[in-house]
Amino acid sequence: MSGRETVLAAIRKGLGRGPLGDAARAALDRRQGATDSDPLLPELPQGPLAQVFRAGLEKVAGTMSEIASLDEVPGAVAGYLAGNGLAPEAAVAPSLGALDWSGAGVVAQVGGTRGGDLTGISLAWRGVAENGSLVMLSGPDNPTSLNFLPDHHLVVLRADDLVPHMESAWGTLRERGEGAWPRTVNVITGPSRTADIELTIQLGAHGPRSLHVFLIE
Amino acid sequence: MQPLSHAFKERSVAALQDETLQVALHRAKDGFAVKRAKAVAGLPEFDALRDRAVAIKNHTLEHLDHYLERYAEAVERSGGTVHWAASAEDARRIVVDICRAADAKMITKGKSMVGEEVGVNGALEEAGFEVVETDLGEYIIQLAHEPPSHIIVPAVHKTRGQIADLFHENHAKYGLTRKLSEVPEMVNEARQVLRGKYLAADVGITGANFLIAETGTSVIVTNEGNGDLTCSLPRVHIVTAGIEKVVPTVEDASTLLRLLARSATGQDMTTYTTFSTGPKRAGDPDGPEEYHVVLVDNGRSSMLGDAFREMLRCIRCGACMNHCPVYGAIGGHAYGWVYPGPMGSVLTPLSVGLKEAGNLPNACTLNGHCAEVCPVRIPLPDLLRTLRHREYQLRLGLKPLRWGLAAWVWFTAHPRIYRLGTRVQARVLALLAGRKGRFTRMPLAGGWFRGGRDLPAPQGETFMAVWKRRQKEQGR
Repeated sequence: MSGRETVLAAIRKGLGRGPLGDAARAALDRRQGATDSDPLLPELPQGPLAQVFRAGLEKVAGTMSEIASLDEVPGAVAGYLAGNGLAPEAAVAPSLGALDWSGAGVVAQVGGTRGGDLTGISLAWRGVAENGSLVMLSGPDNPTSLNFLPDHHLVVLRADDLVPHMESAWGTLRERGEGAWPRTVNVITGPSRTADIELTIQLGAHGPRSLHVFLIE
Repeated sequence: MQPLSHAFKERSVAALQDETLQVALHRAKDGFAVKRAKAVAGLPEFDALRDRAVAIKNHTLEHLDHYLERYAEAVERSGGTVHWAASAEDARRIVVDICRAADAKMITKGKSMVGEEVGVNGALEEAGFEVVETDLGEYIIQLAHEPPSHIIVPAVHKTRGQIADLFHENHAKYGLTRKLSEVPEMVNEARQVLRGKYLAADVGITGANFLIAETGTSVIVTNEGNGDLTCSLPRVHIVTAGIEKVVPTVEDASTLLRLLARSATGQDMTTYTTFSTGPKRAGDPDGPEEYHVVLVDNGRSSMLGDAFREMLRCIRCGACMNHCPVYGAIGGHAYGWVYPGPMGSVLTPLSVGLKEAGNLPNACTLNGHCAEVCPVRIPLPDLLRTLRHREYQLRLGLKPLRWGLAAWVWFTAHPRIYRLGTRVQARVLALLAGRKGRFTRMPLAGGWFRGGRDLPAPQGETFMAVWKRRQKEQGR
């Protein structure tokens, strides 16, 4: 008997029944489509989503600035780097590679990183107001390495992509149909942290030491 | 690992006398309980979410075969491979075989309790691989050659001085010879050392907080980002997960996520929640070429058939141990196996047997705090009582205790003799105690008086006698 059959037989023995019939399985599959799971979504504080998002992000030591358009991102990045005493260079996700980086005086390495870059810039797919979380999808234009290897992670988020709860984002992915889930979906809530030494919170354990969001109106 | 639960009493006494450990435990206990209470107070829906979580878990467990089959089909559709391990031995063999086939040398690991349970590290090291734990706490205890003492903060028992010594001994080979004393510099040094390991690793092994049947996705949560570097940089990603980790949909996982971080660390949301589905796709600049999931049974299926099915709802948050007075006094190592505290006192006897671990369910005051804070409402005190009952039925446990219980049973079945006995006992003890009203020693009960504890003496009347007298006085 294969490992699979052994384990499934042991489970059915524990449950005191044989394999489920086709009708029972079809009923379970309908639930799996979340058509009747109706999740309980916590009520959010009053106010615009951007405000709720900012409160969540700042609670976890993230920071945010609001800018008017995507074209202003390179200038805002240059200002942020200068203001924090960082060199004007960064690994930039291909999804943002077409912006005028050199015009703003930023040396942009378009693509992923192997750890040599102090700053990484990526584009969020969604922002979740509930906890100030960013949802990042992996893909050719959005290398996952940018989310974790640089010391400073700068993320561009469109205000239109703000959703109240994670579930809104999942609904959109489900509508895309089979194979909609990319290899990696990162839900990021603040910079990396650890409390493993004497429960003392320290930012920048293995991932970024700082997380800044540029929200595009 | 080899269980040491049989030596629970000796290990507890040693823990109580270990001053360094007591300092560390005290710090942990206050920190966790306060943070959790604050986080829970900030979410009015918390209790309603707990009910949802119980319903999700119960539904999934009732149809576990179905959801695991659907999960495995979805993993395979996304290009991953599912391996089924009936036992710990199967799990170890499967993981070693995957690493051999990948021609791996170095393996990084994210924290995985099921990995600890089946002993993945030992098997890999025996097979000649270099294995590096990347969660800071797990890394520290790996350097110390110790098992975790807590399921969320594995090195909670270590002080910064002990950690500084470990780093000093072990980091010289990387040219890092300065003795450190502050937490930030220690975290930075570990970051620097482990960076090299992530980039050099051939295989990354992580656990899973949830498996999603609909999409074939494994979910891990970490605050450090170590899990992400472990699963996205190496060529091969292996997920080890217990079969009870599966949930039907990503919405179900989201409901459980709202409970997990608040219960574990008092955060609203863990920093990194990562959903991995299959290997890297065409055109992806990073991600593993191979994605394997090892589904581990190792005794879980047999828990489906009795009262212990409720234990399979456990999401490994650690709230029960953070609120347990016994864990708070002795720490995790005294329990002698992978899972400590209340959840460990249920799981350990089921895994390694009551003969080895019979002391664990007895080391509980039945104060019920663990059940009150459990996000998935596992009736831990009831399960511990069931184990005590089982121990008695199996004729295990200490003989004097068994004789005492047998005598008690006989007396309670004969109420007249029982009452007479208590009347005589109350009077005699009151006389013996004299005017002091307290005992400072007593034959056959030396344990009670250890450490200067005394025992208040009865006043001379039994409760029943006082009750009757008062009823009479009130003219009823």
